[in-house]
Amino acid sequence: MPEIAFVKPAMPKHGALVLPIAEDGVAAGLHAALDQASGGAITRALEAASFKGRKGQSATIWAPVEGISRVVAIGLGKAGEINAEAAEAAGGATYALVAKERDATVAAEGLPAPLAAAFALGLQLKSYRFDRYRTTEKEDDKPKLEKVVFATDAATACKNAWAPLRAIAEGVFITRDLVSEPPNVLHPVEMAERCKPLEKLGLTIEILGPKEMKKLGFGAFLGVAQGSPVEPRMVVMQWMGASGSGTATAKKKPAQKPVAFIGKGVTFDTGGISIKPAGGMEDMKWDMAGAGTVIGLMAALAGRKAKVDAVGLVGLVENMPSGTAQRPGDVVKTASGQTVEVINTDAEGRLVLCDVMHYAQERFDPRFMVDLATLTGAIIIALGHEHAGMFSNDDTLAQQLAAAGKPVGEAVWRMPLGEAYDKQLKSEIADMKNVGGRPGGSITAAQFIQRFVNKGRPWAHLDIAGVAWSSKDLPTAPKGATAFGVRLLDRLVADHYEG
Amino acid sequence: MIGAEVRLRVAPKPGVPLAVPVLAGPVLAGQVLAGGTAGAWTGLAAGFAGTVGEVRDCATPEGRVLLLGAGQPQRGTDWEALGAAAVRAAGPVKRLALLARGLPPEAAVALATGAALAAWHPHDAPLRRLDLVVDQPLLVQPLWARAAAAVQGALFTRELTALPGNVLHPAAFAARLETLAEHGIRVDVLGEKRLRRLGAGALLAVGAGAAHGPRLAVLRWRGQFAVPPVAFIGKGITFDTGGISIKPTEGMERMTSDMAGAAACAGAMLAMALRRSPAPAVAVLAIAENTTGGDSYRPGDVLRTMSGRTVEVVDTDAEGRLVLADALHYAVSQHQPQAMLDLATLTGAMVTALGSHRAGIFTNDAALQAQAAAAGDQVGEALWPMPIGARHREDLRSEIADLKQCCAGPLLPDASHAAAFLREFAGDTPWAHLDIAGVRLDEKGLPTGFGARLLDRLVELYFEHPDRH
Repeated sequence: MPEIAFVKPAMPKHGALVLPIAEDGVAAGLHAALDQASGGAITRALEAASFKGRKGQSATIWAPVEGISRVVAIGLGKAGEINAEAAEAAGGATYALVAKERDATVAAEGLPAPLAAAFALGLQLKSYRFDRYRTTEKEDDKPKLEKVVFATDAATACKNAWAPLRAIAEGVFITRDLVSEPPNVLHPVEMAERCKPLEKLGLTIEILGPKEMKKLGFGAFLGVAQGSPVEPRMVVMQWMGASGSGTATAKKKPAQKPVAFIGKGVTFDTGGISIKPAGGMEDMKWDMAGAGTVIGLMAALAGRKAKVDAVGLVGLVENMPSGTAQRPGDVVKTASGQTVEVINTDAEGRLVLCDVMHYAQERFDPRFMVDLATLTGAIIIALGHEHAGMFSNDDTLAQQLAAAGKPVGEAVWRMPLGEAYDKQLKSEIADMKNVGGRPGGSITAAQFIQRFVNKGRPWAHLDIAGVAWSSKDLPTAPKGATAFGVRLLDRLVADHYEG
Repeated sequence: MIGAEVRLRVAPKPGVPLAVPVLAGPVLAGQVLAGGTAGAWTGLAAGFAGTVGEVRDCATPEGRVLLLGAGQPQRGTDWEALGAAAVRAAGPVKRLALLARGLPPEAAVALATGAALAAWHPHDAPLRRLDLVVDQPLLVQPLWARAAAAVQGALFTRELTALPGNVLHPAAFAARLETLAEHGIRVDVLGEKRLRRLGAGALLAVGAGAAHGPRLAVLRWRGQFAVPPVAFIGKGITFDTGGISIKPTEGMERMTSDMAGAAACAGAMLAMALRRSPAPAVAVLAIAENTTGGDSYRPGDVLRTMSGRTVEVVDTDAEGRLVLADALHYAVSQHQPQAMLDLATLTGAMVTALGSHRAGIFTNDAALQAQAAAAGDQVGEALWPMPIGARHREDLRSEIADLKQCCAGPLLPDASHAAAFLREFAGDTPWAHLDIAGVRLDEKGLPTGFGARLLDRLVELYFEHPDRH
């Protein structure tokens, strides 16, 4: 992660100089100074490159003056229409153009503090790289960027705007690391261990194993776990930011009910006895992205000292076929007491979530509950990769989520719930089946989960199967793990549940 | 007339089974019945809670009486459900009376609507006559006439949709549509020769493999307003084998209903004509049989659509969007509609997404979407908005033509891809696309007629205000 700094404008002596330029913008500050020093070379070069400052446009000018190895012009779009999203995208696009430099200076004099910070966030998010298993990569092929300095007259305001964004970026990177890790490394026990260091941020971390789960009656969760030699884990993370977590006054009586985030963490999903076909099964390492997102989110909230009481609970398990694995036809008893006929062992995520969500409500009585899960292939068929599917029993929460997702590039699309869909879960032998057939597959999954939401509790379920991993580069994420949900839920909290 | 005949009466005819709605709580609709029978009703209803789904079948000196739990109906669709429950509870009778005395006229009409729709069956419908017993037939009659038109539209849609592929081939479909002329609808069927002249390369390609060539049927209702028409565009694949990209055997027999979109558009036109709607409307129905043959189009073919845009064929089983492309362009270029809705049993992805309880709606016009959804809610044909994202359109980029027809592979958002494809042919016209693949058949596999009532109600609600012209 390149270091970000905000300082008073001064012409850099080495590295890259980045010029964020709006359409019809007038050269000022470092841009104007450099243009003068180079005898108008910058203006001539940008003209020759037909660079107009449009969104998505960029141009590179090599070594126009001594010391500066390259100048990168990056388009911001029309001056009046530059919002945080546009600044982030420009920052993200900048990263690829300066990654081979050791340091870069961004001439940010024209950007108000929030936009300069957003530019920095976009750049930093795009710089993510998961390369710990590359042992033979040549030095020349690796990115080198270590430090990005923003030249601005409003350094203090920029630093203040940047501080919370930096915490969010760190949360996003934690999630991306977890999601990217291979399944032989990141099994349930290991994933739980990786939550422990977050205590440094002021989070309280508890880890529960199969013994505790058995006592709690987690029959559905344990049924999924029984095929793997690796034990399952549930991690409970608490950030009492409204009640004084991380301060001297910690542990006083909570000021209010916490908000709760629940994540599905199937560290690898073979499908179990209902085994998946071989093609693409390697993608199932990121079937823990819901849990990974909750962990990164809790780190982000704690990292920026959010004034909210929040709990994050993740159910970590590996779904494997074996002699001890759960079978289609098994009936399991959930922590809520309701029984489930397991028709398809590959519909395991909901079996994990139902027990964790029941526990979360019993213990914390949360104000609302949002669960995240790479739950169904059907949601990819329904929506593709631009929206997560959102299901909710509460119009207010649903609207808040939709509004929070848009500006951070993590859009959700509401999907329906309804009694007719719920009927598809009817079982002849138990309270419900764990699948409702192909028609409306994501909806029946949500209906299943809803059966474990206590009456009157605002709840939303985000099916992130289509958005947790990207097969192409995105404006602020390289292809791979996106950490979809960290920024969305952080924004939800910031907009409505702090203070 | 299709289905059971509905007549209004002030009193039930003795001997005819009588369905009596009983509201939850102490209110009994039957209590207001004329004559000395009120006491008898009260006696029959002892211990009857009136909850939805409750039925009591009683033998009385006047004949069979069916008490039906009505709960607390609030919307027209609740009364329709009750009417349907009455028909189910009555069993195989030839005639049934519905007691609607004391009910508001709208509720009485909805009760009869539900019963008439439920009485329909393609070959096994013993119920020929429904007596709607009301206090003031003269007051109810005009409302019922409107409702009856919509019922006829829906049943016409169902009759067409139920017909097997060997009976309802493209030529036969066109011939059936021509019978609508007797209701004042102008029917123009464009054959291959005219389609070739128009350059309808997509429709012609899809229909090329079949013995009966493709048609474009244009149905026009003039109405009274001098305004551009509302346009209904329907997919009318009389049988869909998938073509060269042939479908698996299992479930292929259901492909006889792959023309349900076109049938719904025709049904809506019939409803509008029967109730003499003042709004002008046009239906453009793309009719073809998609089958395998030496002349069939192939994956890899590039087609020139009527709009001039070229399309790379990826999967011949994604034929619906191709025929609709030409139909949409025809509607836009020939009729300049003020709004345009296409109905199609378009994608399996839609079934995966929303199942069989809602159809998906995609649009370029938020107002039209809200109007269609409101109309659907009123008639119990629920819609749910679905997205067309930038990525969905990007996915259709072709290396050889203006756009690809679809993508290949697993886990594709094909319903959104299809909508993104269709949007290209809608131009600037306010347009909505209803993917009815999941809702065209009920749980027994019988056609629902989904869409006919919705479109008719949409027009009634939003396109018949005198100030619209």
